[in-house]
Amino acid sequence: MGVKVEIVQIKSRLGKIRDNYELHASELRSSTADCVVFPELSLTGYVLRDLVYELVAEAQRYSEKLSEEGRCAIFGTLAEVRPGIIWNAAGVVVDGKLTYVPKFFLPTYGLFEERRYFQPGDPKRDLVTFRIRDVNFGVVICEDAWHPEPIEALARMGADLVFVPSASPVRRLSQPLDIQVSWQSLLRAHSLMNGVWTVFSNMVGAQEEEFFWGGSFFMSPRGKVTAEAPIMEESRLLGDITLDEVRLSRRFSSFRDHIREFHEVLRNL
Amino acid sequence: MDLQQKLSHLVNLNYDIVAEYLVKRLREYIAESGKKGGIVGVSGGIDSAVVATLLSRATHNYFFLLLPSSSTPARDVQDALELTEMLGGRDKREVVEIDGIVREVGSRVKSEDPLVLGNAKARIRMTLLYAFAQKLDYLVIGTGDKSEILLGYFTKYGDGGVDVLPIGDLYKTQVRLLGRHLGVPEKIVTKPSSPALWEGQTAEGELGLSYEVADAILYSRFEEMKGPEEVAKELGVDISLVRRVDELVMRSQHKRLPPEIFRLSGRAINSDWRYPRAWA
Repeated sequence: MGVKVEIVQIKSRLGKIRDNYELHASELRSSTADCVVFPELSLTGYVLRDLVYELVAEAQRYSEKLSEEGRCAIFGTLAEVRPGIIWNAAGVVVDGKLTYVPKFFLPTYGLFEERRYFQPGDPKRDLVTFRIRDVNFGVVICEDAWHPEPIEALARMGADLVFVPSASPVRRLSQPLDIQVSWQSLLRAHSLMNGVWTVFSNMVGAQEEEFFWGGSFFMSPRGKVTAEAPIMEESRLLGDITLDEVRLSRRFSSFRDHIREFHEVLRNL
Repeated sequence: MDLQQKLSHLVNLNYDIVAEYLVKRLREYIAESGKKGGIVGVSGGIDSAVVATLLSRATHNYFFLLLPSSSTPARDVQDALELTEMLGGRDKREVVEIDGIVREVGSRVKSEDPLVLGNAKARIRMTLLYAFAQKLDYLVIGTGDKSEILLGYFTKYGDGGVDVLPIGDLYKTQVRLLGRHLGVPEKIVTKPSSPALWEGQTAEGELGLSYEVADAILYSRFEEMKGPEEVAKELGVDISLVRRVDELVMRSQHKRLPPEIFRLSGRAINSDWRYPRAWA
């Protein structure tokens, strides 16, 4: 019971959508997994700056084209949902149907400037779960995992598995990378608290002045990294998502308790 | 709008206001920099004539440097001398002939490639401008215009190596009209543009299109933000010209930005370092 997932940790070519599409398509065709997941903005590259405006239409065209492969896939792309309203989105393809899932939290600090280009998703409308075989899953993008709510909400909506396509750059070069430790800590906490699998698929390689560090991994509901890709290089990584792990974790899990009043308090802060 | 209409629209500026603003801003910029004045290289072409005129109106502390080489047409030197004299700068100018330095560089590099030597000329001029500027405690005032900067038609760290670009947001066609408005002699206003880095070089010959066409395309593509096909159709020019302009602009992006710094630290210059220019 469960599904096999493949993470494709790639170095997207910045702004070269057609090349990136070819790469996505060939990876999809050669994968033996039930579902293939790529990094955030994998189809376009991350450090797009004003190219966002020029590439959004092409990104959507190639997203449609990728959905025609008929494989379950989660990849990063741009989507203009209303004139001038652009999402940093995950393209989610299930049963040949493409759905755009927006990023909710758009980092605009330090080196990030996403609010200059993107509009955030609306949780009431855009939190959605999908199903492959017997596994329910949801998708949040990178920064969304630095807040408790998006993954918690998806878990409460029934997700057994949450994909986290990301474009995480190296900040300080150290061994191990501080940011790698942070990411494993974050997703370990999300998995433990919510009794879900989390799958971190990170970009790799240089784009402008940023270097994306890769290091993608599968985190089990009991907080174990079950498979991990190397850092600083392209890689493919297969992992098994088993529902038994979800089931077992929830026997001894705090997930059963949810006190709505806390959210009411939060809502009014 | 066809090409002519677009150009008319583009050059339809109130040059009184433009000149007044640029002079005021230049005066202010020099004052805020803490320097005493400004120096500009005067070639005999329209851009440097306009900048020299603006500078002479912004401050009494200006200096004109004429830096001819053997590939500089005699007429240009003459025009530069006349212009600087007309601006009252007879005592605030110097002519430094650069052939000797160019020959020296050429012999060390062991190259006679006009492109290598031509760019070296531009960088030798930059070196001399900065040496004079430092001696005088002046800023180096650049002469690049928007057309050149966008097309990448300048030498990195040559004529691109300056402290400030007062006419960098005016297209060549606009600069010509500003020049006329400022009283720059007509022979300079209408002279075909050329860096004169080698004999017979003309900007429009080298770029493969006239500044009128280039400016109309640049404006439509990057200010009106229209797609290449739409621009070609609207202006009635061949799509290949639009694509050529696009390519020139895109390929020269590195010339308009500071060089990439390979990131290692928690906070890197450029990447997450956005202090204003006026910091101290």
